[in-house]
Amino acid sequence: MSAPNCLRCLTRPSTAVLRHSIAVPNAVASWTASAPFSTTATAAAGPTKGARPTSQPKRMETGHIRSGRRVTISKSKHRKQAGARGKTPLPGERKAYRKKIQLSNSNALHVHWLSDLDAKHMLDAANVTKVMGLPDALVDQLRAVEAFKPKQTWGFFRKPSTLIRPETVDLVTRMQQAATDKQTLKLVLDGDKLTGKSILMLQAMSHAFFNEWIVIHIPEAQELTTAVTEYAPIPGTDPVQYMQQNYALKLIQNIRKANEKVLVRMATAYSHPEIPQQMPIGSSLMQLANSAKEPENAWTIFMALWKELTANTRGRVPILFALDGLSHIMKVSDYRSPAFELIHSHDLALVRLFTDCLGGNISLPYGGAILAATTRNNVQRSLSMELAIAQREAEQLGAEKPLRQAYIRGYDHRVEAAMRAAQVIKVKGINKLEARSLMEYWAASGVLRTTVDELSVSEKWMLSGNGVLGEMERASLLTMRI
Amino acid sequence: MASAANSLRLCLRSCSQLPTMRAARPAILASSLCLRRALSTTPLRGAAAEETTFDEDEFLETKRYNNQGEVLADMLKREDLDDADRARVKDMLETWNKVPQDVRDQIDATTRQVRQSTAQIRYQVKPKKASFWNDDEKDTDMITDEVGEDDFEEDDILSIGHAKLEEHREAREYARIAVWEMPLLTKFARPFEPPTEAQPLRFRYTSYMGEFHPAERKVVVEFSPKDFPGLTEPQQLKLMKLAGPRYNPDKGLVKMSCERFEHQAQNKRYLGDLVQKMIATAQVSIPLGPCLCLDPTDMFEDVPLDTRHHKLTSKPRFPKEWRMSEERRAELESIRRTAFELDQKKQKSGRLVDGVKIIEKHLQNVPVMEDQPVMARRVGKQPARKR
Repeated sequence: MSAPNCLRCLTRPSTAVLRHSIAVPNAVASWTASAPFSTTATAAAGPTKGARPTSQPKRMETGHIRSGRRVTISKSKHRKQAGARGKTPLPGERKAYRKKIQLSNSNALHVHWLSDLDAKHMLDAANVTKVMGLPDALVDQLRAVEAFKPKQTWGFFRKPSTLIRPETVDLVTRMQQAATDKQTLKLVLDGDKLTGKSILMLQAMSHAFFNEWIVIHIPEAQELTTAVTEYAPIPGTDPVQYMQQNYALKLIQNIRKANEKVLVRMATAYSHPEIPQQMPIGSSLMQLANSAKEPENAWTIFMALWKELTANTRGRVPILFALDGLSHIMKVSDYRSPAFELIHSHDLALVRLFTDCLGGNISLPYGGAILAATTRNNVQRSLSMELAIAQREAEQLGAEKPLRQAYIRGYDHRVEAAMRAAQVIKVKGINKLEARSLMEYWAASGVLRTTVDELSVSEKWMLSGNGVLGEMERASLLTMRI
Repeated sequence: MASAANSLRLCLRSCSQLPTMRAARPAILASSLCLRRALSTTPLRGAAAEETTFDEDEFLETKRYNNQGEVLADMLKREDLDDADRARVKDMLETWNKVPQDVRDQIDATTRQVRQSTAQIRYQVKPKKASFWNDDEKDTDMITDEVGEDDFEEDDILSIGHAKLEEHREAREYARIAVWEMPLLTKFARPFEPPTEAQPLRFRYTSYMGEFHPAERKVVVEFSPKDFPGLTEPQQLKLMKLAGPRYNPDKGLVKMSCERFEHQAQNKRYLGDLVQKMIATAQVSIPLGPCLCLDPTDMFEDVPLDTRHHKLTSKPRFPKEWRMSEERRAELESIRRTAFELDQKKQKSGRLVDGVKIIEKHLQNVPVMEDQPVMARRVGKQPARKR
């Protein structure tokens, strides 16, 4: 018998259907007529009226003979097939299923040689190609900033773990360097689909959490610009900027949850008359963050929090401000101004804060990193962003800088200004050594039923377009062929 | 019959002016009569008169002479003759009278004989009325007699055979030309001379081998702005911008054509002048001739080169590095051998990870679930169901 819940469509066959399908073996005629392993066809077919065997008419309707008879009150001949479609999911249930993040799987095997990541691991190039587990405290923090994404394959394994790549070591070293120099690292992670840009961001965040930085993470930039959250003009701004209070509230809560340990330690350096609560100088930042309870003042409190975090006083720590889905904020947003004109993304205050940081207009006194990852799925092309990335890459390689195409419209000087100071890391596929290490981890977790030798590694590596991580997962984990 | 005779007389009178022509072209005479008086009934009556039995010889005999003596005697009877002529005619008549009688008779006989023998061709050929389009008429212009010409005499091949032979002859003729005459063309051969640096323009003409064609006048010119040694780099760029969509950035060539004028030479001249003008415009410092733009010093620096008209298509080629060579084969072999050895080594040391074995091993170690506890049965008889 199939599982009670259909994994694909979330429909649950009702009890009536279940009973019906159990009763089916008694009715030999209907057995032969329908597919034996499917409940759907039987349910859809309904009671076979014409070809009903006359010997067992009542059993068909009532189920087992001992279950008794039901009294039917309605005299309508066209009785509805109760539960023919199964139970439809409740409002929000589908989305919850879609957005579900499962970080552990008790059916997966425990990998005994897996060691936990700590602050120094990712700085050491000797750890490249190693798969390492994320400690529980870190997982909580990462979860709080929404660093895990629903489509990632955390749910296959007993414990969230990650592969250390050369790019990881590179990125983390740069971050560390920036923090020691009290500089701001401005960096864009670019690469093809499924190459692991978000995972690299997660690793950077892990590093920040290990070193007790403040981490602010915007997990989906499209939530800011596709007109799905409320927005309102900020009074007294010219040109008009727009705040997104609901999103700001959510962001404050995430920051508070993830950075609790650090926020508690820090004290306010300014009095904040603009926020409704009394916040005397010297109260903890946690208190400030806690004062955001409703969307009404969320933006003001967020700005107050940001002012405190970037204050040049003692006891402040580096900040990691990360954003995933850079292309979504490098275009004109879907919001409209009161004059019904489209609002540029950079006129949204939160986005502007990020782009100012990325462009170098705001510097962090205690250093830190402004990190952005591009996304290759579900985006409009942003010509200027692509050009800027290509230019930064060329600058890094010392090659000739590509220029704007003269006769193409749609370049955006604001975007180019925002990306003028950024460095670029191009994330590519992993090499075979890393692939082997990863596959050994998969096999040890009991989710890859093959011998991990050079042949199988080469095969999967090749199938995945020279080691594109997501494609490797598709080729080995997400396939139904075992 | 009186009216018939009268009409005959009239008809004869009309044609008496051409007594000698009658015998030669009788049919033409008849038709000319018809043409001359198209609306008259006379020809019809004339034609009707011809049908009557009429001895022409007898009629003309009165005017014909058998010898010189008769002519001279007749002349003497004419009154308009002057005295000197009359005396000369008399002399000649006397001379004639001295001719012996037998000679005279002989001359008479000869004259009569000639007349009689030529009388037949003087007769008019009458078309047969019953014939269909004068079908039976003899064609006097034909050289051959047409009789039995198309009959097959069993001494020749069929016309298909003749055609085949003709084909062979033709082929042989061309073969002879190819062998004997074509080699003589090498005398006119000239060695290829690549265009020099002084000839940067490449013209293309179209010939339809002497036939008239509207496209024959068209002339195409191609040149690369880089081939003009006098132009600096910004000037070359300006030239490209002047050429607009005629510039091919892929090849770096400007291509222009002209078929505006009637003759090829005119078109070529126009193109040559145009190129000259373009170069003059591109050169700011030395404006050679008439300029194409208002301000010759404008170098169009603010206008980027427009290449939207041209699509750059890169055709992917199989990379050279990917070609299989002996070295590459050996390299691959060594990579595979190393991989194999690595796997062997790992297997020996027990470090080779096998997913299936790991799962099996795990399943062996899983504590076996206890049997389900047996539930105690209910003792006693079940109460009967109400039906």
